[in-house]
Amino acid sequence: MRPVSLKAIATAFPENVVNNDFFGEEGNRPQGGMFRGARERRHLAPGQTAVDLIAEASKDLAEQVGESEVRDVDIILTNVSIPDLPFTGCGAEVAKMIGANPTWVYDLHNHGCVSFISMVQLAQMLISTTSAKRALICNVQTAAGRIFRDEQVRKLPQAAVPGDGCGLALIEEGDYRPIEGITVKCFSDNASDMQIANSEGREWWEPGQEQFHIDFSRAKVARVVERGNQMVPQVVHEACQQAGITPDEIGTLITNQPNAIFLRNWRDALEVSSEQHVDTFEEHGNLFGAGIPVSLKRAMDEGVVNDSKYVVLGGFSHAGDYSAAAVIRWNKAA
Amino acid sequence: MKGVEHIAGLKRIEAFSRDEMGMLCMDETRSVYPHQEVYGRYCTIEEYIDCPPEKVFEYLSDTRSLEEWTWSTRGFEATEDPDVYKGWDRLADDTPIFCKTISNRDAMTVDYHCAWDQGSHLWMIYLMRVVPAQLVFNKPGSVVLWSNCKHPFYENNPFPETASKERDTWVGDLWPFFRAGHVVEMINLKKILEHRHANEESLRPWIEDSKPNCSSAIAA
Repeated sequence: MRPVSLKAIATAFPENVVNNDFFGEEGNRPQGGMFRGARERRHLAPGQTAVDLIAEASKDLAEQVGESEVRDVDIILTNVSIPDLPFTGCGAEVAKMIGANPTWVYDLHNHGCVSFISMVQLAQMLISTTSAKRALICNVQTAAGRIFRDEQVRKLPQAAVPGDGCGLALIEEGDYRPIEGITVKCFSDNASDMQIANSEGREWWEPGQEQFHIDFSRAKVARVVERGNQMVPQVVHEACQQAGITPDEIGTLITNQPNAIFLRNWRDALEVSSEQHVDTFEEHGNLFGAGIPVSLKRAMDEGVVNDSKYVVLGGFSHAGDYSAAAVIRWNKAA
Repeated sequence: MKGVEHIAGLKRIEAFSRDEMGMLCMDETRSVYPHQEVYGRYCTIEEYIDCPPEKVFEYLSDTRSLEEWTWSTRGFEATEDPDVYKGWDRLADDTPIFCKTISNRDAMTVDYHCAWDQGSHLWMIYLMRVVPAQLVFNKPGSVVLWSNCKHPFYENNPFPETASKERDTWVGDLWPFFRAGHVVEMINLKKILEHRHANEESLRPWIEDSKPNCSSAIAA
């Protein structure tokens, strides 16, 4: 595999800040366990698209590295939680919007909260095996404004958790800030454990009155907690091993942001302090796939990563169908 | 008589030196242990209770005490089998729980043999032991040890026909939460017994106002 490096990262968020009052009166607010709410989160406005957020973030990216560098991508990879349209992905629209002429455009639907890591892995594979030199990776979470602001769904405890946002990354050939280990694992036994439901019992593409929600029974929550606690430290260990480092060399830990309890448990398990572990949950809720790039950007903006020799990314998706981790040898000057 | 030398894999000082044992212990003593490793197959918790061991044993060995110190089991009544009581586990809707309490006064062990939905195969077994704190902590009171083993039925309900059709919860799905749930119940047990002992209240108030229709089946 050719070495690839993280060149730059940028984020964008909808303007609409939603605080906890949105989800019910004091005392009647959703609370508890896995779905304990954040302090606030952003909701996509009606009519606002994933491509709108990518456009905004790509301006920030262009300011960091220059417009031509962004335009000069060979690969565009996207993951959008609730896509702008059925059938088509948004990658071609992104190419048009930034004025790029990429050869490899893939809109990926799976990997959820760890899709940033799996897209970095895919970018590395493409750069290693083709003439491609540079990839634009786009993670957009759109479910909060599109599903969870619904008048009925917002009453459920789970509704306060998601927040919308976008994280972009430029990955290119080079070893100035290299990704030294990437592990992505699939747990097929857990594949059917995240379902959607609504009281009408209809399929999501069938017409009806009610919005759907995510169907987690209490019993499933116990299993997902167990899996998440177990699989994230495990996959981080594997990525560290692949990179030839031990977990005590983790300078900064960036994980997906499902809730405060998982964040605490992963820190404890990997023996990383809260100062070393970026937490964007309180301000943004669960950004799904965008959580990792957004947290990484925050770590860079706030200087958390400055003294780190290694920045480690890790997480799991949905009800435990995938886990993934990556080790980046950090270079502040890059 | 044959010794143990022919049994492979034993680590005994004759063939496993102090240095080797020291290395092994260094290696095996970690700062953190995964939940799954500690509580995956067995769930054991323990607590000190400031109440004499005889009283703790007496309380635990009465099935009706479960209605007080457990989080969710209520309404135990006698069944046709004099040793088995039927109550309700309000953890889930419409869920009867059957319980046979087998205790041993000499060993101060109290084992609750239970099952959801049906009483013919009691496979959810709660193993409790009361230890005099005088022996282990050199002070009055009791230490309660409580273990569960992950019976294969926790993975899949072997008697689905006995469960209510609407119920989407199976007790075994909650195995990952057993430690947390049992700690809550152990603290309930501690608070009840310490309060009654400190205030010289009746240990089993239901004995006074009702017939002891739910006393334990004590097997020596």
